[in-house]
Amino acid sequence: MIYFDNAATTKPDKSALIRAEKFNSDAFYNPSALYQGGLATAREIKIAKENLLSKIGAIGFDLIFTSCGTESDNLAIFGVVKRGTFVTDMGEHSAVYKSFLELKNRGHNVKFIGLNKDGSINEEELFDFVKSNSVDFISIMHVNNETGAINDVNSIAKRIKAINSKIIFHVDGVQAFGKIRYNISKDIDLYSISAHKINALKGVGALIKRKNLNISPLIIGGGQENGLRSGTENVFGIKVFEYASDIHYDNIKDNYSKVSEIKQCFIDNLSDDFVIISSNESSPYILTVSAVGLRGEVVMHALETKCIIVGNGSACSSKNRFSRVIEACGYSSDVLDGVIRISFSPENTMDEAIKAVEIINSTVKELKRTLK
Amino acid sequence: MSNKAIIIRFCEIHLKGKNRGYFEKLLKENIKKSLKGIDCSFSVLHSRYLVENFDEFDFDLIVEKLKKIPGIHTISKANVVKNDLEEISNCVVDMCSDKEGTFKVDTNRADKTFTPNSMETSRYLGGKILDKYAKKLKVDVKNPDFTIYVDIREDGKTFVYTDVIYCISGMPVGSAGKGLLLISGGIDSPVAGYLTCKRGMKLDCLHFHSFPYTGEAAKEKVIELTRKVGEYNGGINLYVVSFTHIQEAIHKNCPEEFMITLMRRFMMRIAERLAKNLGGQAIITGESLGQVASQTIESITSSNSVVSMPVLRPLIMFDKIDIIDISRKIDTYETSILPYEDCCTVFLPKYPSIKPNLEKVMKAEAKLHVEGLIEEAFLNIEKISL
Repeated sequence: MIYFDNAATTKPDKSALIRAEKFNSDAFYNPSALYQGGLATAREIKIAKENLLSKIGAIGFDLIFTSCGTESDNLAIFGVVKRGTFVTDMGEHSAVYKSFLELKNRGHNVKFIGLNKDGSINEEELFDFVKSNSVDFISIMHVNNETGAINDVNSIAKRIKAINSKIIFHVDGVQAFGKIRYNISKDIDLYSISAHKINALKGVGALIKRKNLNISPLIIGGGQENGLRSGTENVFGIKVFEYASDIHYDNIKDNYSKVSEIKQCFIDNLSDDFVIISSNESSPYILTVSAVGLRGEVVMHALETKCIIVGNGSACSSKNRFSRVIEACGYSSDVLDGVIRISFSPENTMDEAIKAVEIINSTVKELKRTLK
Repeated sequence: MSNKAIIIRFCEIHLKGKNRGYFEKLLKENIKKSLKGIDCSFSVLHSRYLVENFDEFDFDLIVEKLKKIPGIHTISKANVVKNDLEEISNCVVDMCSDKEGTFKVDTNRADKTFTPNSMETSRYLGGKILDKYAKKLKVDVKNPDFTIYVDIREDGKTFVYTDVIYCISGMPVGSAGKGLLLISGGIDSPVAGYLTCKRGMKLDCLHFHSFPYTGEAAKEKVIELTRKVGEYNGGINLYVVSFTHIQEAIHKNCPEEFMITLMRRFMMRIAERLAKNLGGQAIITGESLGQVASQTIESITSSNSVVSMPVLRPLIMFDKIDIIDISRKIDTYETSILPYEDCCTVFLPKYPSIKPNLEKVMKAEAKLHVEGLIEEAFLNIEKISL
């Protein structure tokens, strides 16, 4: 089987699992316990935090472990600014997008900024809005999970803060962390990351936050994570996250060029049946295309029978089967209908890419012939 | 302290004459099967059944199970005491501790040796209740807020209860033969299945899957719906037939407007053959007259004409809104509306024929190797026991 749905999740790294194994056996203690074993696991969590923060040069930042990227986004959106005007864009993952809809339901001012054709935020529209409105909170994703478009969040944050330094700026970095070389700037207040997108486990995420930024917790209880996220820590999951991030950051340049070549192989060799939606400047880890005239879900299933796993962005329904994000990029319905997302990891090989392109091309030809 | 019991009453079976024993036995078996695994005893008591010796915390679970057994009309949770006026009186007074408003006592005395008689017993018990709760309770024999039923049986036990819980009624599953339900994943077919079980027909289910045109998620949804229908059927078998090649063949060889009509004809043929193999006597569909193009009388005539087995259409004269009401009641609605393609929607033509002419349909069908395609479909049939 060839797995090209790495933006959905990645295969846990064996060496990271083995390295963390003792936290599932000998070092099983509750990190809140005051005896030696408990203190030792608490220390390990602290080490993991410092290590993860160092990956994006986060000096002057804290890290709160959560259960997933979605929880991190929610904590950022609902935990800091209590009322006011909230701004995001049409391309956000549901974790942010639907949280903003919820803010709207609760009576806050909410503004969704439009997208460019590649799925990146329309910066001018954003700046214009911030100039002419009193904005309190902005959330923008670093790498778009559907198109791979990269927002230059540091420069956007800098310009935003120059207009209004009081705005709290959150970045959903789930598809960027461990993949794109990046150092967080002091203009960014909050940054969400997730473990299972970088070959660690599902069930662990984190919110990186500027020190001294007041945040109120969504989950109350035993006071773990400095009271900001109660609940006994998932020590094993946290350590696997740390170790997997070591592997990713040790190889970040090589990985980047490797997946870039794989992505280019697809772009160069996919047949004329496809429209390429991702731009050349997008993250090399994500390539979104459309098999115009077919339904993305049907293409996905047909490829599945040939042992090629790709994603189709969003769940499909007969009434509302289009991806909200690709639609916001301004594509017509026949393009939207055929969207599939091919997403890569460093474990993918060029041989897999060559084989997959060939099968994808022939499968789509076949389906078009059948459904003509 | 009194014991607890659940009294189970059945409805239409009372109308049966010499066959009554057969129906009662079936119902008894169905109840026993449904309560398997729950620690309780089950017994028969003059035209009703009793569940006793259960843990109090299992009560809700038992009631939920009983509410899904066709043939049961009502159930009541009763306190069981000895046929002794003082014991009965204590129990009745106890049961009124959290009640307010108006009440009456309704005594039924199967044990005719018990004195005083029914009227006098009711009056005595009513008096006892008023002695204690005169401030919050009043008697109203015509239109009471609640009734305390006292059922004095011959075997020395008296059942005292206030509430009657209505179940689904109908006939015991298995009493009306066996049928095969075509289940699609939409709102209608699970409702048709439920209504069929309710009238006592034992069901198997058949689903047509069109991978890759429909995905595994669509199949999972059908499995979930079938499982829910199965709760009324005492378990159920789902047969999944791959419909992909048949759809492709029709699409390739026949006019677009007959796509759905021809698909329905294939489905009916496959259903009849499978039903016969399984010992079934009828095909059940969720069709409702005129709801969609394939459910006009012309379309139904066309699909019906390829089978000789009776085709039961419980929903044929139901409005969609009424079907949705039932689907909510049986908890299939939320699953049915999950947004996955089902096999009917993928090859949907832009303008399906609403009144297919049988002659033209048969002419179009003649371009296909009907028997061969059906044979092929039967080669890869999948059985899922739920």
